[in-house]
Amino acid sequence: MSTHADAHDHHHHEPGLQHQFENMGQQEESVSIGMWMFLVQEIMFFGGLFTAYMVYRWRYPMAFAEGSNHLDAFWGGLNTVVLIVSSLTMALTVYYAQKGMRNMQVLMIVLTMLFGTVFLGVKVVEYTDKYNSGLIPVAGWNKKSTGAEVAEKAQAFAFPWEIKTEAADAGHGEKKPYINPRGDFQWNYGHKLVEQAEKGGYLTADEKIHYYSDGRFDPFKFQEKVRMFYFIYFVMTGLHALHMIVGLGIMAWLLWKAWLGTFSALYYSPVEMSGLYWHFVDIVWIFLFPLLYLLGRHFIH
Amino acid sequence: MAENHTDHEHIGIPGYLAVFAILIVGTWITYVVAFWDLDSIFPGANTLLALAIAFTKMTVVMLYFMHVRWSKELIWLSAVASFFWLLIMFAFTMQDYFTRVSGVFSA
Amino acid sequence: MQNADAFNPSLMREPKDSYLTNGYSIKSWLLTKDHKRIALMYLISISVFFFMGGLYAAAIRLELLTPGSDLLQSATYNKAFTQHGILMIFFFLIPSIPATLGNFLLPLMIGAKDLALPRINLLSLYLYWIGGILTLYALMQGGVDTGWTFYTPYSTTFSNSYVMAVGLGIFINGFSSILTGLNFIVTIHTMRAPGMTWFRLPLFVWAHYATSLVMILGTPVVAITILLLAIERVVRVGIFDPAIGGDPILFQHLFWFYSHPAVYIMILPGMGVISEVISNFSRKKIFGYEFIAFSSIAIAVFGFLVWGHHMFVSGQSIYAGLVFSFLTMVVAVPSAIKVFNWTATMYKGSISYDTPMLYAIGFLGLFLVGGLTGLFLGSVGLTVHLTDTYFVVAHFHYVMVGGQVIAYLAGIHYWWPKMTGKMYSEFWGKVSAMLVFVGFNLTFFPQFILGYQGMPRRYASYPAEFQVLNVFSTAGASVLGVGLVMPVVYLTHSIFAGKPAGDNPWMLPGLEWRCQSPPTTFNFEEQPVVTWEAYEFGEENGLDIEEARRSAGRPVTV
Repeated sequence: MSTHADAHDHHHHEPGLQHQFENMGQQEESVSIGMWMFLVQEIMFFGGLFTAYMVYRWRYPMAFAEGSNHLDAFWGGLNTVVLIVSSLTMALTVYYAQKGMRNMQVLMIVLTMLFGTVFLGVKVVEYTDKYNSGLIPVAGWNKKSTGAEVAEKAQAFAFPWEIKTEAADAGHGEKKPYINPRGDFQWNYGHKLVEQAEKGGYLTADEKIHYYSDGRFDPFKFQEKVRMFYFIYFVMTGLHALHMIVGLGIMAWLLWKAWLGTFSALYYSPVEMSGLYWHFVDIVWIFLFPLLYLLGRHFIH
Repeated sequence: MAENHTDHEHIGIPGYLAVFAILIVGTWITYVVAFWDLDSIFPGANTLLALAIAFTKMTVVMLYFMHVRWSKELIWLSAVASFFWLLIMFAFTMQDYFTRVSGVFSA
Repeated sequence: MQNADAFNPSLMREPKDSYLTNGYSIKSWLLTKDHKRIALMYLISISVFFFMGGLYAAAIRLELLTPGSDLLQSATYNKAFTQHGILMIFFFLIPSIPATLGNFLLPLMIGAKDLALPRINLLSLYLYWIGGILTLYALMQGGVDTGWTFYTPYSTTFSNSYVMAVGLGIFINGFSSILTGLNFIVTIHTMRAPGMTWFRLPLFVWAHYATSLVMILGTPVVAITILLLAIERVVRVGIFDPAIGGDPILFQHLFWFYSHPAVYIMILPGMGVISEVISNFSRKKIFGYEFIAFSSIAIAVFGFLVWGHHMFVSGQSIYAGLVFSFLTMVVAVPSAIKVFNWTATMYKGSISYDTPMLYAIGFLGLFLVGGLTGLFLGSVGLTVHLTDTYFVVAHFHYVMVGGQVIAYLAGIHYWWPKMTGKMYSEFWGKVSAMLVFVGFNLTFFPQFILGYQGMPRRYASYPAEFQVLNVFSTAGASVLGVGLVMPVVYLTHSIFAGKPAGDNPWMLPGLEWRCQSPPTTFNFEEQPVVTWEAYEFGEENGLDIEEARRSAGRPVTV
C-alpha cells in the first residue's frame, strides 16, 4: 500500500527489502523458510498419490507390472536425463546469480526452460501413444477405430505416431489390429505375467482372487486392474506435468527479471527459491520414473 | 543468510558437474538393473534397489542443488520431517492392508 | 510501560491514528497487506458462514422436535446436516481462531510489524472467499447430501447432488488454510522481537505453531484426496470404486489422515486462547509453561497417528484397529496435561470473573466432558455400540462447540478492546456467556443419553420413545442460538457507542497490550525489546490490578 510505505521509507535503500522486515538477512531467511514449508506441503500432496500407488501395487503386482511394461522405458529414461540436465542448468543459474553474471544467468534460464519444454514434448509423445493404443483409462477418450479404418489408415497419409495400428509392443502378447469403436480403455496385450506367476507358484491366493472368476482367468477383471495402473499413471504424471508448466511460468518471469539485471550477489533469493521449486519437481520425477516405468520389467524375458 | 554472502559459492561448477554425473550414472544403473531378475534373490529386491537409488539421487539433489548442506537446522528439520510424515502415512495405511489379508488377524 | 494512570478513563482518549483510520476506501481494505485488516475481513466472513451453518442447525433441530420427518423430507434433511457440517467445519471452525485472532495477534504478541509474508496472507483470504463462494453457489444450486466426510462410493458414484462444486470449494479453501499455516510458521521463526525467546512466547503463539504444523502437513493430503474423488466422479474411472477393484477404505485412510489432525486444527488454537485467558484473569504465572507449550506440539504430532479410530467398524483390519485405539489413548495424555495445568494455574489465583474468564471456565468443563467421551469412542470394543449414534454427535460438539467456539468467543471478548479500541458491555457479555453455557449443555447433553440408548445419527425421523430428550435438545438449541446472537448485537453496538478501552484495559504484561488500542498500521512506534518472561505479573511491570480496577471504578474481585 502506498499509504503504508511513507513511514518506513528509510529501509528502502536495500534492493527488494519489504516493509515488514528489518534487514535483508531477515527477509531472506523468511522467504527461504516459507519456500521450504511450501515444499513440505507439496511433498504431502504427492504423498497421497504415492500411498494410493503403494496400496494397489501391493494388491495387484502382476497387473501393475503388465501396465509398467507398456510404458516406454526409453522415453521415460530420456525424460529423466532431460530433467536432470535442466536441474543442473537451474543450479548453475543460481550460481551465476550469486556471481551477478547477467548474461550467463539469462543463458542458463533459457536452457532450463528449453529442457523443461523438451520434457513436456516427450510427455505429449507418450500420451499420444497411449491415446493411439487405447490405454487412456477413461471411456471414450481413446482413439476410435473400427476394423475397416485400419486398412485405410495404412494407405493414407498419416503422421508417424498415427501409423501404429497394431496393439502390441514390448515384445509380448498377441498381435491384434487396433479395434476400438467407442474409444474405451482396452487391454489386448495378454496376461503373460499372470501365467508366469501362476506357473512359477508366486501368484498368491489373495492376488488370484482379483483376476479369476469361477476358477478361471477373467480378462475383464484383469483389465480393470491394469486400468487402475493407468489411472494412477495419468494422475501422477499429469500433476507432475502441471507442476512443470507452472515451473516454466516461474522461469519466464525469472528470465524477465534476470534480463533486467535485477539479481546480484546482494539480492538473488527469487532465483534461489525458483530453483528450489524446480529441483523439487525433478525429485518427484526421480521417484516416478522407476515406480511407474521400471518396476516389474524384470518379469519379461 | 546475510552473513553468508561472501561464501555462497558452495561447491562451484566442478562440484555441480560431479553431482550431475552422479545423477546420470544413478539413472543409468536404475534403468539397467530394472531388467535383471533380482527378485530371485529375495522378493522385492528390485523394488528395494530402485528406491534406494532414487533416495540416493534425491539426497544428492537436496544436499547440493538445493543447498540444504549449507542451510540452517530448520531446513534440515523440515526436509526430514516431511519424509517422516510421509512414512507415517505409508506405514499406518499399510499396516491395515498387510493385516487384512485372509488368515492374519481375521476370521 | 503501563501504569495505573493509563487505565483511568478520565485520562483516556481515543487514538487519532490507527490501522482502522489508515484509508477508508474499499480498495484500502481489499488490497491491504495489513494483518489486522485481513483479520477483520476474515472475522466478518467467518461470522457470515457461522450464521449460515447455524441456520442449517436450526432446521435440523426443528425437524428433530417430532419423531416423524415432517418439516424436512429425508433427502432435504440429508442436505441440511451435510451443509451444516461443511460450512461449520471448513468455513468456520478451521479458519476461526487462526485466521482472525491468530492473524491479528501473532505479530502483536511477538513484536513484529506484520506477518512475514503479507501478500501470501491476503492471497489466503482471497482463496477462502473463492472457496466459500463456490460452496455457496453449490448450496444455492441444490446442495450436497454426502455428509461432510464425502465417503465413497456414495460421493463418487451414487450421489447426484453438487459434490463437484463443493469439493472444489473445499480444495481451494484448503490452500487458504495451508498458506495461513505457512505464514505463521515463518513469522514465528523469523519475526520475533529482540529478547522474545521461544520460552517467552505467549502460549497462544505455541498453540498456533502446532496448528500450523498440522495445516501444512495434513491439508495437502485431503486436497489430493478430493482431487482423486473429483476425477473419479467426472470420468467414471477410479481408485475408490470397489466395483472395479478399488478400495473405498483407502479414501477413508487418506481423508482421515487429514481430517483427524484437522480436529486438532479446530481445538489447538482454542487451547491457546484458554491458556492466555486463564493465566491473565487469574493474575498468576501459568503453571507449567513448558508442559503446555510442548503438549501442543505433542498433540499435533500424535494427532497424525490416530486417524484409524474413525474407521473401527468400516472394514479396516482388527489389528489396525487395536493399534489406532491404543494410540488414541496416548493422545489423551497431552490434552489432560493442559487441563491439569489450567486448573493448577487457577488454584490460589486472584480470579476476576470477567466475560472472557466466564467463557474460559465454561471451556474447562465442556472440554473435559468432550475429551473423556472421546476415550469411550476410542476404545475399539465400546465404539461398536456407539458408532454412528448421537453419542458421537454429542462428543464432537462438546469438543468443537464447547471447545473451539467457546474459546473463540472468549478470545473475541478478551481482545475486542485491542481490536476496536472500545469496551463492550460487561453485563451483556456475562449474560451471553451464561446463556451459551446453559443452552449448550441443554442441547448436547441429552444427545449423549440418546446415543447411548441407540438413536442413530443422520436420520430425519426416530422412534417416538426418544422424543422427550430431543425436545430438551431443541429447546437448548434455541437458548444457545439467543446466546450466540447476542454478542453480535452488543459487540457491534460497542464499536459505535462503547467507551474507549485504553491500551491495556485488563492490565496485563503481554506485548500485545503494550501497543496502542487499536494498533497503528505497523503496530509499535519503535521496535520493542522484551526483557520479561511470559505471564509475569509484578509491581515492576506497573501492573497493580487492584489499583487499576479501583481507579477505573470497577469492582475489585478476588
